[in-house]
Amino acid sequence: MASTEPPAAVTPPSSKPNLLPLASPTIITPSAAASVAVAPTASSSSPATPSVATPRPIPSDAEVFHIPSYSCWFSLGDISECEIRCLPEFFDSRSPSRNPKAYKYIRDSIVKQFRRNPSSKITFTEVRKTLVADVISIRKVFDFLDAWGLINYSPAALNKPLKWEDKDSKSSQHAADSPAGPSLDSTPPVRETSKRLCGSCKSVCSIACFASDKYDITLCARCFVRGNYRVGLSSSDFKRVEISDEMKTDWTEKETLQLLEAVMHYGDDWKKVAQHVGGRSDKDCITHFIKLPMGEQFASSAEFGSSINKLNQMKDDNNISSSSSPSKRLCLSPLADASNPIMAQAAFLSALAGTGVAEAAAQAAVTAVSEMGQGEPKADIRSLHGVQGLQDASITSNGSDVLKSVEEAHSGVNPKPEEKKVNVEEVEEEIRRVAEVQMKQIQEKIVHFEEVDSQIEKEWKQMEQMRDILFYDQLNLLKHERAIRKSGQQAAEGVRTQGDYVS
Amino acid sequence: MKPLPSTSSKTPVKFRMPTSENLVPIRLDIEVGGQRFKDAFTWNISDPDSEVSVFAKRTQKDLKLPLAFATQIAQSIQTQQTEFRSYKGQEMLTGEKIVPIKLDLRVNRTLIKDQFLWDLNNFDSDPEEFSKTFCNDLGIEDPEVGPAVAFAIREQLYEIAIQSVATARESRNAKKGRRGEYSSISSRSTGAALDLMKLFSNRYSGVRKRKEWDVFEPMVDMLSNEEVAALESMVERKPR
Repeated sequence: MASTEPPAAVTPPSSKPNLLPLASPTIITPSAAASVAVAPTASSSSPATPSVATPRPIPSDAEVFHIPSYSCWFSLGDISECEIRCLPEFFDSRSPSRNPKAYKYIRDSIVKQFRRNPSSKITFTEVRKTLVADVISIRKVFDFLDAWGLINYSPAALNKPLKWEDKDSKSSQHAADSPAGPSLDSTPPVRETSKRLCGSCKSVCSIACFASDKYDITLCARCFVRGNYRVGLSSSDFKRVEISDEMKTDWTEKETLQLLEAVMHYGDDWKKVAQHVGGRSDKDCITHFIKLPMGEQFASSAEFGSSINKLNQMKDDNNISSSSSPSKRLCLSPLADASNPIMAQAAFLSALAGTGVAEAAAQAAVTAVSEMGQGEPKADIRSLHGVQGLQDASITSNGSDVLKSVEEAHSGVNPKPEEKKVNVEEVEEEIRRVAEVQMKQIQEKIVHFEEVDSQIEKEWKQMEQMRDILFYDQLNLLKHERAIRKSGQQAAEGVRTQGDYVS
Repeated sequence: MKPLPSTSSKTPVKFRMPTSENLVPIRLDIEVGGQRFKDAFTWNISDPDSEVSVFAKRTQKDLKLPLAFATQIAQSIQTQQTEFRSYKGQEMLTGEKIVPIKLDLRVNRTLIKDQFLWDLNNFDSDPEEFSKTFCNDLGIEDPEVGPAVAFAIREQLYEIAIQSVATARESRNAKKGRRGEYSSISSRSTGAALDLMKLFSNRYSGVRKRKEWDVFEPMVDMLSNEEVAALESMVERKPR
């Protein structure tokens, strides 16, 4: 089993920067435990060094530096596509001090500094003390070079499984990305099924990642901390998403198949299942079983039994990777399968609700379904309440928890394929009905509000009319008043004049 | 040679470092427990604030300092950042300003003394470029000298920029009373500035007089270990 990365030998351009900087990566240094196949790296050599058809012999007095084969695009002479992609801030002319020339200066200085003493790791602080630039630019370039193994990289470090995992995932990701990437297809990318890819540095997230729902971006912990997101975002937009520890000890296909077999045979008895799988505790088995993409099997639930058989056959045929990988790769999160919109909706709803609520709701739905014989209305009400509970809650959770409770409820009821199918379909029915009822409710509310609205308008008009009438009356009153006053005055004057006249 | 009319811009400009990029000089001098950590570097003010804590942690880890340093470093950087930003909205006057910049620093074993003129109006200036060329031309081997020179230049430019904010404020207040004396105030109150025209008005060429050459010549000296130790102990004793 090729468990080590084949290191590529790179002869430095040293004094002549316009030398073809890369030796063909098929040359392996005669050192270390490099008993590796030459084939994988040979296929990766093409676009990086198009003109080198045959391997060049290493000059005996040249220094040789090791870099991982997925970094073979690197050359001290110029800047490659990969760098432009990973560090766009240096190439988009947004800030005058971050330009390609400065980038090249920083990068070359760091690499040269490391290469002066390749056996020891160089730290960021050492580097930034010697470079004339602002420290954040230096740090970005340093992190980039570190991540790609262009500095602080030595073949001896490969034996650490965790680091290899990172490189493997990076390399296999880049195999998909660019043709220049190494085609390490001896290690299939099956392990990366439910891993999240970071949006900015394009590496696989482990342990925890940060997701921004507002802009639909996922960042790995490193990029989040580095602030490697666009200008419009701030750190508060991101939520921390834990990726379970189970990722660290990935399940091999063999183990997964054993697990499925055991579940088929022993059903609910997880202790026996754990024994059968070997090396995994029963809890691990349960969690992994839940995380398996059951969504597809629910969608084509009639084939539930046959798919297990298929898997067994595949196992015999030694064709594991191709069968399980598409099914696994298709679903990044269980039940988010587009082919079954109801289950996708259920997953979405359960993601909105709290885990406890979702579990309770699912359990309620399933128990209601199992009591189908005792009358439909009960089931309706129960599931209605359950799913309403779903919609009232608001915290995020994993869809897997729902699946877990659904699974357990299922295995509690009766683990026979036909009954399972019925239960699930009933659940779907209930959910559909609930959704319809809710929509009707909303519609009625709308109609009601419209009525109220028109009533209010009528009353308003009436009020206006009354006001007009009042105003009219007032006017009349005033007129009369004035007229009377005038006539009164005239009368008074008439009396006076008469009086004068008399006297 | 007829003196050209003065092309100084009397219009106030928004505060910024008079260089092509708004890089702020940050100086750290932190003492925790018995350990003292001194450092100086340039910081890009437009980077997000999350960088501060990352940088602080990184530095503390790389230098194997005790944990308390990380928070102190982050705090110090943030204080200086906020100070810079507090000047941001204000205006500064940049008249015809050629200022002398003096370098007088010791980095590890290299001693540097230099003096030169810098145009404050040139917002495209780049202390980093200057520093790189300086080190190349003088064949300085110690790579830590470059950043130190750039830092020293930036620090002085920063000081001058802050001063010009103050003078802008003064002259604005004074302007309300006396309009005519505006130009004299701006050139008078910045004591260090030289009027370019005055400098060259009596000369036939732009070349300095011979006796002034020594003053403006860079001096680079390498010290021996004992001298370095002596200097350091002197510095340590001073603030105590």
